[in-house]
Amino acid sequence: MEVFLGIDIGSLSCDGVLIDSHGKILAATVVPTGARNLEAIERVRREILQTAGLSEAAVQATVSTGYGRDRVENRLAAVTEITCHARGIQALYPDTDILVDIGGQDSKAIRLDRQGGVQDFAMNDKCAAGTGRFLEAMARALQVDITELGGLDRGARDNLTLSSMCTVFAESEVVSLIASGTETREIVAGLNRAIASRTASLVKRVGGDVNALNVAMSGGVARNGGVVRAITAVLGRPLAVPDNPDTVGAFGAALIARQRFKGTAGHQT
Amino acid sequence: MMKSYFDDLVSGIEARLAEDPENRSPRKVYALEVARLGQRLYGETESVAWCGVTAPFDLLAAMGVTSCFVEFVGAMLAATGMEGAFLEEAEHAGYGGDTCGYHRAVLGAARKDLMPVPDFLIATSSPCTGGLAVMENLARHFEKDLFVLNVPQEASDAGVRYLADQIRDMAAFVADHTGQRLDPARLRQAIDNTNRARTLLEEAYQLAQHVPSPVTGRMMGNFGVVMALLLGTEAAVTVARTYRDAFARRVEKGEGGLARENLRLLWIQNRIQFKNPLIEMLEKDFGAVVVADELNAITWEAIDPDDPYEGLARRAISIPFNGQGRRRVDHLQKMAASFKVNGAINPCNWGCRQGTGARGLIGEGLKAVGVPVLNLEVDCIDSRNFAEGQLRTRLEAFAEMIAGRPSPWH
Repeated sequence: MEVFLGIDIGSLSCDGVLIDSHGKILAATVVPTGARNLEAIERVRREILQTAGLSEAAVQATVSTGYGRDRVENRLAAVTEITCHARGIQALYPDTDILVDIGGQDSKAIRLDRQGGVQDFAMNDKCAAGTGRFLEAMARALQVDITELGGLDRGARDNLTLSSMCTVFAESEVVSLIASGTETREIVAGLNRAIASRTASLVKRVGGDVNALNVAMSGGVARNGGVVRAITAVLGRPLAVPDNPDTVGAFGAALIARQRFKGTAGHQT
Repeated sequence: MMKSYFDDLVSGIEARLAEDPENRSPRKVYALEVARLGQRLYGETESVAWCGVTAPFDLLAAMGVTSCFVEFVGAMLAATGMEGAFLEEAEHAGYGGDTCGYHRAVLGAARKDLMPVPDFLIATSSPCTGGLAVMENLARHFEKDLFVLNVPQEASDAGVRYLADQIRDMAAFVADHTGQRLDPARLRQAIDNTNRARTLLEEAYQLAQHVPSPVTGRMMGNFGVVMALLLGTEAAVTVARTYRDAFARRVEKGEGGLARENLRLLWIQNRIQFKNPLIEMLEKDFGAVVVADELNAITWEAIDPDDPYEGLARRAISIPFNGQGRRRVDHLQKMAASFKVNGAINPCNWGCRQGTGARGLIGEGLKAVGVPVLNLEVDCIDSRNFAEGQLRTRLEAFAEMIAGRPSPWH
């Protein structure tokens, strides 16, 4: 059996997707990157093959992506997460015009063509405001688990505006708001709207008028229902969110591995 | 310290060039002349003028003045990895860390006595008012006289006459400070050198447009803007001829600067001045070569040696950074077409209104002719703010994107 592996090593998580020669997902895994990304990469390889019941020899080609893409050994190629996320989402939602991807330290909007190619993209500036790291810091300030954050905005009156999106200043502001007795749901809704506003700016840079466009979202932050709702509200468009948004990049990488392997002698570097 | 640095640099480059005198690297010949300029600036034997970018350096050369625009100091410090201490010095004095790194470095260098004391200063209102403010600041710091050339935005007859008259006044100002009148014969010779260099540069730029291009990404970085400092001298002619000849040889043999030229890129404004691996990464991983830089272009006509003032004025007005953003977009569109580029990179130098202010217009303008633009957010001087990983991802993704589409020029 011929299989192809995509590994997306990001700042927060290392994701792997294994596909067969038809592009069907055989196994997927997500592990924390931690401080030692080589260990995370090996763990992904081990777990994903174990889940699929296959040996390393079955992997015809591996493509790596994410900020640690050059650290992955025995790869056919390293491809940026922009290209991989575009490819992955196009396979899941072929009508996607714009993909919003918010990961651990990057947020981006990608304009796609119908083949999953990138037409244009815009990324956050150097600051990581509005990314997974930002939300981690806010969850810490609110003293809640990051996985709970997505539902805490429910019932908010949506009248709170945060004055800063700098992670440090926003954390201080959240602490001050808690101290002044502001309800948690209002704070979380304010955070979500701030993220949505920044995201909408990226989307409009690549998409202009998005009224007739199909928008999807990937990356770990897409698991946060509150952020998804806020972006939906700001854009005025529904967001297509896959069941496993954090493995879209790895899926795209696996698809590229399959395509490139068929177009080459399959030499891995 | 700087004098010995430039002395070492000059002797080192001379030794390298002497190893193979028949195949002199144009970049090294250029670097040698720039290093010699540094030697003169710090030599304490010649009259020195700190200037704005569009000052008439050939006229100053004809008057025996060694002159240089102040941004050169920032670029030099960054290139040698020394900028940090000088940026900090400026920041300690209250200059904001998000203002132009070129100017912060210069102000820090002046405060730490790294800049030679000028005999006078000549500011220009173009290309940026930030630079003008720095010149005013330096004039106060050095307690020297400042002459300001107010460059009009349009090359109308009245505008050209207005600037030409100012340049005449500037010559009188310089003569008053050096005690030497302008020698018409020396001026004519300087203008002749400028015109010869101009012709050779125009030929070199045309050769660089060839597919594959004879240039590599590093060969022409910062070239056009710094070459202005050599105008009026025989050195300008030598450098321009060396480039022209080297490019002509490569084109004749059908050789590209890069063995495998897959993608052709246009670099907008100035390069990242400190050492970084990005240009090499683009070449090695993607066969993507920067074949054109925005300021590597001749935008002015030959100057009349018998009546040079209007020609000098027209040249200053003609630079793409002067006037409306539309002019800059037109210039970039023409460059994109003549160099047949697949994409353009705009570093959007932090704190620079030329770098960031027009990015939307430039992006739309180039997109209209089928050329995508990657906007980076880089402080081109301050390596302390360099986020290599983030920039690599953006550049790689951009290269992946344009590699997948046909050239807009086929």
